[in-house]
Amino acid sequence: MTVTGWNSELCLKCNICTAACPVAAVTDQFLGPKAAGPQAERFRHPRATVPDPSVSWCSGCGVCSRVCPHGVPVAELNILAKARLASQHPHPFRDQLLARPSLLAAVARPLAPLANALLGLSAARALAEAALGVSRHAPMPRFASATFRSSVPQLHARTPQPRSGRPLVAYFHGCSVDSYEPWLGRLTLQVLEAIGFDVVLPPQGCCGLPLQSNGLLEGARNYARTNLDGLGPFAAANVPIIGTSTSCTLALKHEYRAILGLAGETADQVAEGTYDLFEFLLEGDPSPLTRAALQSLPLRVLYHPPCQLQGHGIGWPALEALRRIPDLDLVLSESDCCGVAGTYGLKRERYDVARGVGEGLFDQVQSSGVDAVVTDSETCRWWVAGHAGVRAIHPVEILATAMGLPGASALAPSSIRGHEGPRP
Amino acid sequence: MSHHSTQLLVIGGGATGLGVAWDACLRGVEVVVVEQGDLGQGTSGRYHGLLHSGARYVISDPSSARACARENERLRRLAPHTIEDTGGLFVSTSHDPADFPDAWLAACRACGVSVEECSPASARRDEPLLTPHVARAFRVRDAALDSFDLLHALAAAVSDAGGTVLLRHRLDRLTPRANGFLAAITAPESTVVHIEAQAVVNAAGPFAGRVADLAGVSLPLALGRGTMVAMATRLVNTVINRCKPPSDGDIIVPVGTVSVLGTTDTPTNSPEDVHIDPWEVDALLDEASILLPGIESHRALRAWAGIRPLYRPPDAPRMETRDLPRAHALIDHGARGGPQAFVTIIGGKLTTYRQMAEETVDLVCRHLGLEAASRTASTPLDPARRDYHRLPLRLERHSRPAVDDHSPVVCECELVTERELTDALRSTPTHELDDLRRDLRIGMGPCQAGFCAYRAAALLTQTQHPQAGLTAVAAFLNERWRGLRPLTWGYALRQHELTRRIYQDLLDVDAGAAPES
Amino acid sequence: MTHLLVVGQGLAGLFAANLALRKGLRVTLISQGRGGLSLSPGCLDLGRTAASLPSQHPYRSAGLQNLPAAVDAFRELLLLEGIEFLGNPDVSMTLPTAAGRLRHTHLVPRSMALGHFDAEARMVIAGFDGFRDFDAGLVGDGIRRAGWPAQSISLPLPGEARRDLYSTDLARRFERAWTPEQLSSLWGPRLGKTALLGLPAVLGLDHAPETHLALERSLGVGIFEIPTLPPSVPGLRLERALRRRSLQGGGRLIEGPTVVGRVDGRSGGGRVLGVVAATSAGPRAFQADAVILATGGFLNGGLRADRAGRVADSVFDLPVEAASDRGEWLGDGCLGYHPYDLFGLRVNEHMQPIDRQGRVFFDNLFACGGVLGGADRRGEKSRQGIDLLTAYAAVHSVAP
Repeated sequence: MTVTGWNSELCLKCNICTAACPVAAVTDQFLGPKAAGPQAERFRHPRATVPDPSVSWCSGCGVCSRVCPHGVPVAELNILAKARLASQHPHPFRDQLLARPSLLAAVARPLAPLANALLGLSAARALAEAALGVSRHAPMPRFASATFRSSVPQLHARTPQPRSGRPLVAYFHGCSVDSYEPWLGRLTLQVLEAIGFDVVLPPQGCCGLPLQSNGLLEGARNYARTNLDGLGPFAAANVPIIGTSTSCTLALKHEYRAILGLAGETADQVAEGTYDLFEFLLEGDPSPLTRAALQSLPLRVLYHPPCQLQGHGIGWPALEALRRIPDLDLVLSESDCCGVAGTYGLKRERYDVARGVGEGLFDQVQSSGVDAVVTDSETCRWWVAGHAGVRAIHPVEILATAMGLPGASALAPSSIRGHEGPRP
Repeated sequence: MSHHSTQLLVIGGGATGLGVAWDACLRGVEVVVVEQGDLGQGTSGRYHGLLHSGARYVISDPSSARACARENERLRRLAPHTIEDTGGLFVSTSHDPADFPDAWLAACRACGVSVEECSPASARRDEPLLTPHVARAFRVRDAALDSFDLLHALAAAVSDAGGTVLLRHRLDRLTPRANGFLAAITAPESTVVHIEAQAVVNAAGPFAGRVADLAGVSLPLALGRGTMVAMATRLVNTVINRCKPPSDGDIIVPVGTVSVLGTTDTPTNSPEDVHIDPWEVDALLDEASILLPGIESHRALRAWAGIRPLYRPPDAPRMETRDLPRAHALIDHGARGGPQAFVTIIGGKLTTYRQMAEETVDLVCRHLGLEAASRTASTPLDPARRDYHRLPLRLERHSRPAVDDHSPVVCECELVTERELTDALRSTPTHELDDLRRDLRIGMGPCQAGFCAYRAAALLTQTQHPQAGLTAVAAFLNERWRGLRPLTWGYALRQHELTRRIYQDLLDVDAGAAPES
Repeated sequence: MTHLLVVGQGLAGLFAANLALRKGLRVTLISQGRGGLSLSPGCLDLGRTAASLPSQHPYRSAGLQNLPAAVDAFRELLLLEGIEFLGNPDVSMTLPTAAGRLRHTHLVPRSMALGHFDAEARMVIAGFDGFRDFDAGLVGDGIRRAGWPAQSISLPLPGEARRDLYSTDLARRFERAWTPEQLSSLWGPRLGKTALLGLPAVLGLDHAPETHLALERSLGVGIFEIPTLPPSVPGLRLERALRRRSLQGGGRLIEGPTVVGRVDGRSGGGRVLGVVAATSAGPRAFQADAVILATGGFLNGGLRADRAGRVADSVFDLPVEAASDRGEWLGDGCLGYHPYDLFGLRVNEHMQPIDRQGRVFFDNLFACGGVLGGADRRGEKSRQGIDLLTAYAAVHSVAP
């Protein structure tokens, strides 16, 4: 299950991954996923330092693993090499900060209006760039003044006790909903309840993916173990674990075992029992979504599948759901990655490349004349909205609106702070 | 037709022959080496890659063990750039005789082979693929020695010291003369070279019998063909041995970017017989799976064979090749009624090449009437001019290229640049991509020349003659195929298909049609 | 509405998915990774069109008389993406390869058309400085010996690169970064009065026809492309175009998971219920009314052969006839014919895989493309023809 250096033996050097890599397509600082991954791995000794720093240009988007016909876990090899590389030097404070969004939010929340105001001040952003290395151009979300969890204490549950005769599901909301976009959590609850499920919130924390992406694997493992403890009883009782953040659900499904090396029955059960919200709504015949009455929604939107959704290997279930909504005019993204790749695009030294990766998508958004961009990942939403100047929303907002749910409005305010303006 | 005159003619440019030449040079002897092929084309280039600690032989062949132990330490000082100090493990598994380790330990100590017991847990920490059924584990001073680096270093040392190394020169006739010998040699382009020498050393390895025939002396040899399989990655970073009486397939050696399983031992009559039977590959995988369970699910990259020449003493005509002593044999043919100053040095292990060479040149000097002692034990070899067989130096170098220094990487699997290729072509012009492979490791990685055959052929065409390119591609791919064919299943089959898509579908290099069915 | 699941994203799978969408089926395309088109010259080799086909040849099962219709459907699809294919199934064209050999094919994209062998045409073959995957010297040398006058040169590229560039890197630069005017002023002096120029096939990726045309106009010269070492851009263009088409047409694409088996179920009987794929979470079932297996041959794992000599398709584990001694599968030389070239699934005239007695394995399982046996695609030069025709026939069996 865990990816090891020996998996590089599966590589036939065919370059399918190199051709697909969104980062190699915009910068030649990155040698490409094949070269930085299975090719270089043959030259790295497990007990020696990683000799090739260029691997740190990899954004971790995972397109390479997905397109490889031979099963080489290219992205995972790169992520592990980057983590080894990162541990060879002290971790920059910036990375420690960006790797802990829930902690950051907890600190900022009591002063949320002030913090949000500062994030909008170009002087403050310039200072943050100089002092910390966080790019002043990277769009940042606004802190919510109260967490999602704190707004629904009645739904907290440690054990999978049924509440009524209705089937039970567990919601893994992740830091983005909890600290930045709590309204998405409330909409998700409404959607699931309207379709006929009871929803509870198991004990949970940050999924740990930002820590992993910044090479802080031991920290990620600690977060992961906390989540496995909290979610384990539900998975063991076959209560589906539903997530609305495709990066959180990917961590639960895949990264915990493949990259963090967590093994055992609980890790397996949680992985197998985790579903993206739309994956869950479309599962089975008839699927739960058929119980939702969908009204006409005459909007023109562009759907962009986050690279981390594609890493699930389940296609684009949100798109399938959106296709069922009458009068919804759907434009399909032609980009494999928007560029931000979690925290990658926020870093001063990576920003230009990340922006270059997303350029095609931003152009497509602007030339398609859409009312909104719809995408399942929070970091994609914040990044695309900030650069393309168009609202970015989670597909559950569209679904809730089409279902006529009271809390829904597809015109929900974007959480994005404005940024400096388009770069030349 | 050209004519040379020298004191010592060495036939054979493997580790033994070059070692002899180097030793002789340092004693002020004028030397010419003739090697019928390219550097490393013979047995020295086909061996397992192991710098023996000697532990393998402490019971079966104690004098070899002692020699290995001593020479191991010496080579680490003399040619450190050819050696990766991987360390070695001797592992006694539940399949192995439980009483063997203690007897073996005692024998190690008696032979001066350094050994230290360690816990099975620490062995498995270092080597996660190692079987869980480890009863006892011991650490020894095994290491990986790159013979190509060594041969290049020796050849360069001989040339720098005034000796001559003639590659692709084949001995055709050897005629004893009044004060020595006259050798007739076929050189590349079919020219003929004559060499007069006062003394001749036959270090031709598996071909030593043919050389002896040319000199009119008898040299009974047993030829054993040994097959090895390289696994596509370094499944282990330590040399792993089974702690039991030595037999086929019980060693795994990390060599550069691969790990080598070996070896078998099949008698053969021909020194050119380096074919591989599919059953040998299966046997090696099965045997290795005792040390590394599940190894058969890992990708085998290619197989090759080398011929092990062992002297069959006249009084033991029927001994099994496995039981013939591994210690080398130095035969003074003059003392047995043959021509004076004609000496054969045969057998032995690459680890002890220096000692073999010393003994040989001692004998040669006696014949030449020279009083000079060997200096090889105290004269280090200069680092090879091209030092890239050592993990991870190549990767380091390629990770930080300055823009103006950048030379395109021709072989991506082994990180070989265009400049290295053109330099090699300039210093030793050849039409054979396989010669470049031995020098530079092109085509030795996972894609087995799928990409670099084309790129290298393009360079050949630019620097040699226009026709060289495509002929070279086909020849190179066929040579690579010989080592792939015995293990073409699974991913090796996929890789082969990829190569065919490139050369057949995209480049149309092959235009043959299927037989009518 | 019939729900069709197509397994495999090579030419056969992508073509089948698109045809099925046009027929109004609901289509899910699932594949572990992307297929063999990046290793393909991006032309259509149709192979033998004469009557002397071996009995198990896929052209027989699919019906050779349908080949023109399949080719027309393919051309129409590509035209919707702005890619025009020229040529005729009955007339072969001869084009140079990057190794200087002359290759026969039937249909080529417009950007290659001027490369058709013409002993009267004087041309220049140009590679690019520092580009490893195409050598004008090799090309020129080969075609000159075949009687085609050509001069070989190397042209500079704008800007500096910090690493070796692949063909896809160049394709993106030609499409986005470099202007025809820039290239014209850089190359003009070198090209002089050249009327015909052969270049590596890197003139754009998603906007290739426009890139090619603009460069021709700016340089005032006819240009034809020659496919390079992989990634082969012309093949990739086809793959991307067909994938875009299938998404636009309402298809569902599931890229990434390995398809590991079929869905079991009580109502199975003579039908498959769907496939099981190893997603990131673990095995998940994907159900459908019909399945088309377009997983390809050994290259990308559609067929697999193990150490013990057993050959089977990798999704349904259907046995494939093969000698059990793996030495007998292989030729003596690396290139040339290998007996395993004929290995693969056998199908009936409905493109349903059958066993040795001719019995159908499953009523709603079909197969097309490289997973089929009975044809020496290399010797016949029929790879794309078999992909297209068998995909066409399979879709028409699913939805007559």
